[in-house]
Amino acid sequence: METSNDHYYPISQCLSHSESNVSNSFQLSNNNRSCNKYGFFLDNDCDDQDHDTPSVQDLKAIRIKERKWLQMLNNWRYYINFKWDKIRDRCRKGIPHSLRSQAWFHLCGAHLQRNRFPNLYGELLKKGIPSDVRDDICKDLHRQFPNHEMFADPSGVGQTDLYNVLKAFAAYRPNIGYCQAQAPIAAVFLMHMPAERAFWCLVALSKYYISGYFMHNLEDIRIHGQMLFAFLKKFTPSAYSLLNRQNIEPEIYMIEWFMCIYSRNLPWPSVLRVWDMFLCEGMPLTTLFTLFTRFYYIDSKTCQKLRNISKSSLTEDSLIRGIKRFELRDIDLLKEHGIQMKKLQKSKKQLK
Amino acid sequence: MSYAYLFKYIIIGDTGVGKSCLLLQFTDKRFQPIHDLTIGVEFGARMITIQNKQIKLQIWDTAGQETFRSITRSYYRGAAGALLVYDITRRETFNHLTTWLEDARQHSNSSMVIMLIGNKCDLESRREVRREEGEAFAREHGLIFMETSAKTAANVEEAFINTAQEIYDKIQEGVFDINNEANGIKIGPQLSPSSQKSSSGNPALGTGGGCC
Repeated sequence: METSNDHYYPISQCLSHSESNVSNSFQLSNNNRSCNKYGFFLDNDCDDQDHDTPSVQDLKAIRIKERKWLQMLNNWRYYINFKWDKIRDRCRKGIPHSLRSQAWFHLCGAHLQRNRFPNLYGELLKKGIPSDVRDDICKDLHRQFPNHEMFADPSGVGQTDLYNVLKAFAAYRPNIGYCQAQAPIAAVFLMHMPAERAFWCLVALSKYYISGYFMHNLEDIRIHGQMLFAFLKKFTPSAYSLLNRQNIEPEIYMIEWFMCIYSRNLPWPSVLRVWDMFLCEGMPLTTLFTLFTRFYYIDSKTCQKLRNISKSSLTEDSLIRGIKRFELRDIDLLKEHGIQMKKLQKSKKQLK
Repeated sequence: MSYAYLFKYIIIGDTGVGKSCLLLQFTDKRFQPIHDLTIGVEFGARMITIQNKQIKLQIWDTAGQETFRSITRSYYRGAAGALLVYDITRRETFNHLTTWLEDARQHSNSSMVIMLIGNKCDLESRREVRREEGEAFAREHGLIFMETSAKTAANVEEAFINTAQEIYDKIQEGVFDINNEANGIKIGPQLSPSSQKSSSGNPALGTGGGCC
């Protein structure tokens, strides 16, 4: 297969067949736009929470948090081995924004991989990838968080880094290649850290957290969808029966939520809080959170509402409170996973 | 608003051909050049009129990437119409049509109406697929054909409405079994004898207007 080994700044090539005219005008108009503190343009989708001005007390609290996190990060191995509960509790309370980059990098274990292979990322950038994979990546670069200043400019650092991270991943795991759901995930990491670190975080995520999401005909995500449905039945039977009666399969709403780890479906401060917890606790958390949203918004009755849940009702605080209402143990998850796997295998046999 | 029939559509085709933009142009009458890519499936709905009958179109917009094909397949079965979209400025999206068509034919009910759409016809200077090629492909495979532009809205209404017209005609001819909802057609409260029951029978059929 034809391969291309361009690297570092391929964006101009990508643009030749994409929306370059649109992008140029867009780029010019962006310079005068204002952003919120997360980098999202204010004329689109700004969240009320962003206008909060912190009190002296808030600032003091943030400083105390920062000190605690610094202390943890400096003694990471000790905490991860002996004080995991402490890390979990602090993740649930939210990681201070100034240390989020470092904390995420450590929580998912990406720092270990990076230390083991310090030169790999650079080498991968020089490697070729199949031209169809490269084209697929290029087609999606301008379609990731277009309302974020970092990704709005086609020749900007954001889209260039995004290309490099996705390309490096495709070169690193040719059996997985590029799946469109990787792009928003990589973009979220890139908003917080340099490209190399973002790459290792993406690797860690696809290896330990959502392994199988990007391949094998999405079988894993379908199993998770069925697990979700089963837990829904257990925890919120009314919601379950409503969905069941109306034939709303989990696949209709959960694929984007799970594959992009909610990054496109929540107000931004809530996305960050969910990621704080997700990177610490993994899959159970995702499930818990979904249950919470289902519980509160299921009676909206229509698909559209189910998918476009009012963002104002998903603020950080109500979200975290909701998650704490459910206790789902690892053993329950494993058990349910087994049940759904068996069901799948059975239906496969029947098909044959 | 009550309706006589509900038709389910599915929009398929390679990634980046403009499926979501076509849907947005049809449901909201606007073009959004910069938008998030589709992961999984999206929805849209709109009411149209055919021969003085209100018809609700419920449209499932799918992700184009190969990885998502297994998801897309599960939506064919319940669809009465499919819009198969390619990009006239990218030859490879036209070359992949055969695969898409095979997939669609294999997983859908045999009477599903398929409309072939060559999108981005506003970009004449970058055209790689001639109009005649699209027409020939459609003729050969028994599809309806149109070139559209989600950007200028050219032929967008027509594409969705002509598909509905074809489905409607097939219903009149008795080709579609309208009592089997798996065919993607549902009799609405306007026609149904038991109007109360039918209005609550389907997932995305909220009673209000707007998108399902």
